[in-house]
Amino acid sequence: MFALTVLYDPECGLCRRAHEWLAEQTKLIELNFVACASDEARKRYPQLNHDLTKKDLTVVSDEGAVYFGPKAWLMVLWALVRYRDWAYRLAAPELLPTTRRVVSMISQNRYQISRAAGFNR
Amino acid sequence: MTIGISTYLIYLALSIALTIWVARTLHKNGRVFLVDVFHGNEALADSVNHLLVVGFYLINFGYVSLALKLGYAINTAEQSIEALSVKIGMVLLVLGAMHFFNLFIFSRMRRRANERNHPPVSPDAFTATAVHQEA
Repeated sequence: MFALTVLYDPECGLCRRAHEWLAEQTKLIELNFVACASDEARKRYPQLNHDLTKKDLTVVSDEGAVYFGPKAWLMVLWALVRYRDWAYRLAAPELLPTTRRVVSMISQNRYQISRAAGFNR
Repeated sequence: MTIGISTYLIYLALSIALTIWVARTLHKNGRVFLVDVFHGNEALADSVNHLLVVGFYLINFGYVSLALKLGYAINTAEQSIEALSVKIGMVLLVLGAMHFFNLFIFSRMRRRANERNHPPVSPDAFTATAVHQEA
């Protein structure tokens, strides 16, 4: 695996901020950012359920493996030099349920969080 | 020069030559492993390789030096050859053990590094990518 395509929500301030943060990180695996359900995304992945990608972060590897929601977050962390160990830790059986809960909560409330944090410039 | 002193000198010359040969072999062939372990970071690989070889030299020369003493007098050429065979044999065994220990370290480092190449979670699904579609 050499590259991950991140299908993110361009409407969400938190996601844009996360995108900026990711751009500065040193990566072990290339990250490509494509707006979810965009023409570009549909062209790249014609078989993907693009309505579902609007609900939560989706990551697709260059081999076609699809990671959705909390798994997609872990894959993005795993791509970063500084956070690969954290990805394994958060994906360990003892922590995975908590990781899923926290990530789902942030994802579902991303518009409210963006507004509260003032990311919607 | 007595036969005893020549025995010691031959022992030292042979042991040092053997140690240098094994260390060079390790240095030359271990590099590929280390470059792989450190994801192509050649500067780091060379540095670790060099440090490993220094340790290798220290342990082997330390052993060669400690094992120098014979503890009995040598009077004939036969005795000299017998003493040398025992001493050099021991040095070769220590070198062999150290060599396999180094190989074990290399392979363990490489395995550890490769373990981190596996994604932390399994995919939810698979989809065709545009590249695959065209092919």
